[in-house]
Amino acid sequence: MARFVFLGRLRAFGDSTDMVLPPDVRTVSALLTWLGDRHPDFADACAGMRAQVAVNQTIVRDLLQPIADADEIAFLPPMSGG
Amino acid sequence: MNVRLTNTALDVGAELAAFVDGRTDAGALVNFVGYCRDATAGQPVDALFIDHYPNFSERQIAAIAEGICRRFEILDLRIVHRVGRIEPGEAIVLVAALSVHRGPAFDGVRMLMDYLKIDAPFWKQESGPDGARWIEPSAEDLARRTEVA
Repeated sequence: MARFVFLGRLRAFGDSTDMVLPPDVRTVSALLTWLGDRHPDFADACAGMRAQVAVNQTIVRDLLQPIADADEIAFLPPMSGG
Repeated sequence: MNVRLTNTALDVGAELAAFVDGRTDAGALVNFVGYCRDATAGQPVDALFIDHYPNFSERQIAAIAEGICRRFEILDLRIVHRVGRIEPGEAIVLVAALSVHRGPAFDGVRMLMDYLKIDAPFWKQESGPDGARWIEPSAEDLARRTEVA
């Protein structure tokens, strides 16, 4: 089961949630497409603010990066500093 | 070097005392304390909420701080940053640097604060009479973005 973490204004969609990834969702790109189909409001919010994705606490640079069910996948709005 | 994020009030005096305790090699201690104000751009602020990504935020800040230590020949750095709800008058951040002479400590603290204010992995929300709003870096902030290695 993958853990999804939401930060900053994306916490409007929850703090975190655990979800089983479908068998065909095995890259970040596929995940974003899947989320766009299931949760268009969330996908639109991410796209609008140019949110970054982190897998296991590392920012994703390549959308073809593999993901697995044990991963922690975080959605990070632009960082504002403290 | 010590980086700590905390949701409890900062005791600046105790932090600084612990930081210099036992040091005989440092000729300079420079520190900066940032406070939560009760207004931004003329608008009242009741509280701040600073969100962070546990472990990720600490590691990112530590990596930048290590680069600054090397660049300015700083002996040691201490960074303590509040997260969670913060009210006006409370300290948000303490940055302290030790160096042999004063110049590197001043330079290092300034650069680290520029990073923490603009680029650090935090998400800041201000609350006031009109409700809460998330803050994004301004174009001016981004133009001042500090390059550190």
